[in-house]
Amino acid sequence: MNPVLKVEGLKKAYGTKVALTGIDFEVQGGEIFALIGPNGAGKTTTLRIVSTLLTPSGGKVTFLGHDLKKEPEKIRENISYLPEEAGAYRSMKGTDYLKFMANFYADTGEKADEIIRRGEAIAELGSALKDKVGTYSKGMVRKLLLARALMTRPAMAVLDEPTSGLDVINSLEVREIIKRFAKEGISVLLSSHNMLEIEFLSDRVALIDKGRILDAGTSQGLKDKYQAPNLEVVFRSAVR
Amino acid sequence: MNKFTNLLFKEIRELVNKQLIISLVMMMAIFYFVGNMAKSEMKKAAATQNISVLDLDQSALSRGLADSLKTANFKVEWSQAKDAETAVQEAKKGETYILLVIPQGFGESINRLEPKEISTYTFIRSLSMGGMRKSEILRAVIAATNNYLSNDVLKKKVPDFPPEVLKSPIKSKDYIIVKDKMAEGSASAISGFVFSQSFIIPIILFMIIMYSSQMVISAIAMEKQNKTLETLLTVPIPRTSIVTTKMLAAGIVGLLSAAIYMIGMKSYFGGITGDIRASAAMTGVIKQLGLTLSGSGYLLLGIALFFAILCGLAMATILGVLAEDFRSAQTLMLPLMLMILIPYLLSFFADVQSLPLPAKLLIFAIPFSHPFLATPNIMLGHYSAVIYGILYMAVVFLVLVVIAARIFSTDRVLTMKLRWGKKKVVL
Repeated sequence: MNPVLKVEGLKKAYGTKVALTGIDFEVQGGEIFALIGPNGAGKTTTLRIVSTLLTPSGGKVTFLGHDLKKEPEKIRENISYLPEEAGAYRSMKGTDYLKFMANFYADTGEKADEIIRRGEAIAELGSALKDKVGTYSKGMVRKLLLARALMTRPAMAVLDEPTSGLDVINSLEVREIIKRFAKEGISVLLSSHNMLEIEFLSDRVALIDKGRILDAGTSQGLKDKYQAPNLEVVFRSAVR
Repeated sequence: MNKFTNLLFKEIRELVNKQLIISLVMMMAIFYFVGNMAKSEMKKAAATQNISVLDLDQSALSRGLADSLKTANFKVEWSQAKDAETAVQEAKKGETYILLVIPQGFGESINRLEPKEISTYTFIRSLSMGGMRKSEILRAVIAATNNYLSNDVLKKKVPDFPPEVLKSPIKSKDYIIVKDKMAEGSASAISGFVFSQSFIIPIILFMIIMYSSQMVISAIAMEKQNKTLETLLTVPIPRTSIVTTKMLAAGIVGLLSAAIYMIGMKSYFGGITGDIRASAAMTGVIKQLGLTLSGSGYLLLGIALFFAILCGLAMATILGVLAEDFRSAQTLMLPLMLMILIPYLLSFFADVQSLPLPAKLLIFAIPFSHPFLATPNIMLGHYSAVIYGILYMAVVFLVLVVIAARIFSTDRVLTMKLRWGKKKVVL
């Protein structure tokens, strides 16, 4: 099976500070692949590079056969990125925000309308979509942003801490949306601190620390390998 | 919808918010209201004015002086007080602005060619320009009366010579030369008139450049503060389009806002200077000397302004990237503001050509100086200086755009921040 995303020897340095030392991983079509690790491990840097926000200092990233350095535009057309602390334009209504974003991916008005309808269905915000984003709660903004990321049916959604700062109910709903879309064939690359969430969501997991990948595999495979009851213990054992 | 248009509309929508519309409407209303108030005040000042006159002399000459006040548009109210002190007390309680006290023996003294003081009391009831003008008119009337009296005496004493010849034996005729054009007139009167007609131009330039730059720097800073920039940078649209739409939207909205401001200011200044009409002779001299902006002159000034706006927008874009949020963006406007303020103030108070060489070079190096220098240069026919200024601004703009585009197409758009404490740019 051909992977949609192939990361080989990826390196990144900010001046003298090294963020990634040379990591390798692959994401298959329709797979939810998670990066777990502590703050400063290199998760967000990896996701930002894959999303074409940052340029790598070394290594190679290919997505659907397109080289990230040579064809970033091709990658942007097929990837949706949801940053950890993303916001939406506060003066726009929810629907207008979805429409604004849909217009970047649609060639015709009909296509844009179809994308918007899908976005409205994912967001599940009802009549609140007619209100300005500035009036939304954090959970509502996050749902709107997730809808924005998934409504275009990208080949891959890159989600940085998708449930960050959300309450239990909102977190559950967001996880269910992600699961549903992965089943429909969208690959997901996500990061999280929440190891239980990762265990529930992901097909495969990579443990990342200090800019290197310590180990990777399915949640169950990793738990068996480290003889650990959960991923938190797996991570602690892998770091040691 | 085209991706570029989609982004441009969004940028314009973000800039044209409720606050901007309210502030523009408020400013227009204030300018209109204050302008109309000033206009009515100036009209009042130019209309018939009441003046209290205490004539303790009751001579033909004192009556003649009062009559001359009537011809100067004053309505004389005769005071019945016994002395000056009582007249002042009475006038204080009333609404009169000026009290004239003609002392006893005034007519006799003048006839004996002995100077005699008359007293004028001006009651400052407001600090408006209209209020100040009343006493100026009275002073002009007294000067004219003095002139009339001295001429009268001279006619009697030296009947063979016209009084004007005796009082001013040296006559002068003033000519002004601008390049190859010459006209008769006083240099101070001409420069005063030209200033009164063109002083609004630097204000317009200052406001347009400031407005547009402020908008683009705030737009970028708000994208960062609201965490929308990262998402925008990952949508399938070239980074150069993101920079261009921000600059274009700020330019359009800046120009529109400045135009609205200018209409308001025109109404305001029209109110202040509404009653001051340049004499036909002065206008003729100005035209004869070519000290007006012709169609091509306005075009050159417009091009200079256009490039200054572009330079401001490009500079603001780079500064906006350095800002972490809206507040820090306001601080980062400071260097830009100084660069606009220096030539703006200089355009009122100094002649750049007379400055020492280092100062002159500094002024010429600031791109925003050139539109400010353009008006006098166009009026004086120094077109090459204006064209060199435009070319210089075009070069500066291109360099700045290349820098801005490079920043937006690399990691720097997210990682570049100005750390005030550490005083270094972290890349």
